[in-house]
Amino acid sequence: MNNLLHFLIKQYHWFLFIIYVIISVIMLVKDNPYQQSVYLTSANSVTATVYEGIASVTGYVHLKDINEDLQERNALLEMEVVKLRNEINEYKIQLPDSNIQPRLQQFNFVVAHVISNSIAQPNNYITINRGSGDGIKPEMGVVDQNGIVGIVDVTGPHSARVISLLNPDMKLSCKLKNSEYFGSMVWDGGSPQYAILEELPKHMKFSVGDTIVTSGYSSVFPEGVIVGTVVGRARNLTDNFFSLKVKLTTNFSQLSTVRIITNDMREELKALDPNNDKEKKDNEK
Amino acid sequence: MNRTITQLIWLTIVLTLLQVVCNKIILFNVATPIIFIYVLLRLPMNMPKVWVFTIAFALGLTIDIFGNTPGMNALSCTLASSVRMPVFYLYALREDEMKTVVPSITTLGVGNYFKYMSTMVLIYCTLLFFIQAFTLHNAILTVERLLCSSVLSVALLMGIDSLVSTKREKRL
Repeated sequence: MNNLLHFLIKQYHWFLFIIYVIISVIMLVKDNPYQQSVYLTSANSVTATVYEGIASVTGYVHLKDINEDLQERNALLEMEVVKLRNEINEYKIQLPDSNIQPRLQQFNFVVAHVISNSIAQPNNYITINRGSGDGIKPEMGVVDQNGIVGIVDVTGPHSARVISLLNPDMKLSCKLKNSEYFGSMVWDGGSPQYAILEELPKHMKFSVGDTIVTSGYSSVFPEGVIVGTVVGRARNLTDNFFSLKVKLTTNFSQLSTVRIITNDMREELKALDPNNDKEKKDNEK
Repeated sequence: MNRTITQLIWLTIVLTLLQVVCNKIILFNVATPIIFIYVLLRLPMNMPKVWVFTIAFALGLTIDIFGNTPGMNALSCTLASSVRMPVFYLYALREDEMKTVVPSITTLGVGNYFKYMSTMVLIYCTLLFFIQAFTLHNAILTVERLLCSSVLSVALLMGIDSLVSTKREKRL
């Protein structure tokens, strides 16, 4: 017994080693570590402060390209406004009595800056400088001027972590523009410029260059936000569905200013969802 | 001894912050420099193992928190720290004299120090990139990444080494 104790005391550093390894492995394989702690992610205040410092310096680097993107987008939107205005005027002439009411405004935007971003990891995350203090909650959608960026995951008081679209954990319901075929968009871990649109019905038709937009089936993103363009067919894992390779319009290596979509009807929609009731009941148990 | 410790603390802070920036560098889509491992390489050989493991774990965990990679760096860092001694004695010949020594160019000689550093970095990169990938799917890409990252890291570490150690070793 004495010998055993002596041995244990002599070799205690190896026990410490094993404990450290076990802690690391638990962190590594825990099913859902992300929602559990703000402290162990980039959304905690210390890391966010460091990243803000870095971002304030590096933010200038891509300003020229981003500016060009914005100009382009602005021009497109202006054209759209002119087109829509003409259309409304035409309708007004055709139906002088009708009262065209603006639709209920459901979505709002909060502008934020990206303070940290990764594209080369197997699971990528983005940190932004807005948090729960600015009304940001988990599960809000994030877009930039070119397209979809991701979904808010963990929020700290003044910063939040966003699951990037370049993360295999994120699935996004998308459809082909001008058709009703929808599937889910997943990143396959390869190039940060491409993703795969899966689970499309086999009989659908497509052509290269078709635009992919969000389907609007979830309360996270409004319908019709641009995601990417079709490049070609992707290799299929199962024979029952059809997959497309999509070139993403968002340039993830140059993210700087993003918009977080707040959905005013989210609570209402959530209350209607039958799955949600079940979850609540489970939690109560 | 006190100066070594202060130097190590400063080195840790500076290299951790640098690593946060380095994590975003992906040269040719394969090579990511890993430089914070330098702290682990420079710990004195007579430091109690308990401290070595603890420092390695804390170091890895810090990088993980910044990089949103829970456990990956912590695990590879702790594992790498456990083979530090054997690797060192692989290249250090006069074992008895070496016991109280901080690994550096003066104590090991350029050739052996370079070998020690490359071996450790290669071990660390192998652990890290396979833990990151977690499968053998796309193994060629993983191997490419770990080899390129090791080469880049060793090159950078030799540079950092010349910055950190010149003053002190000239006095010796």
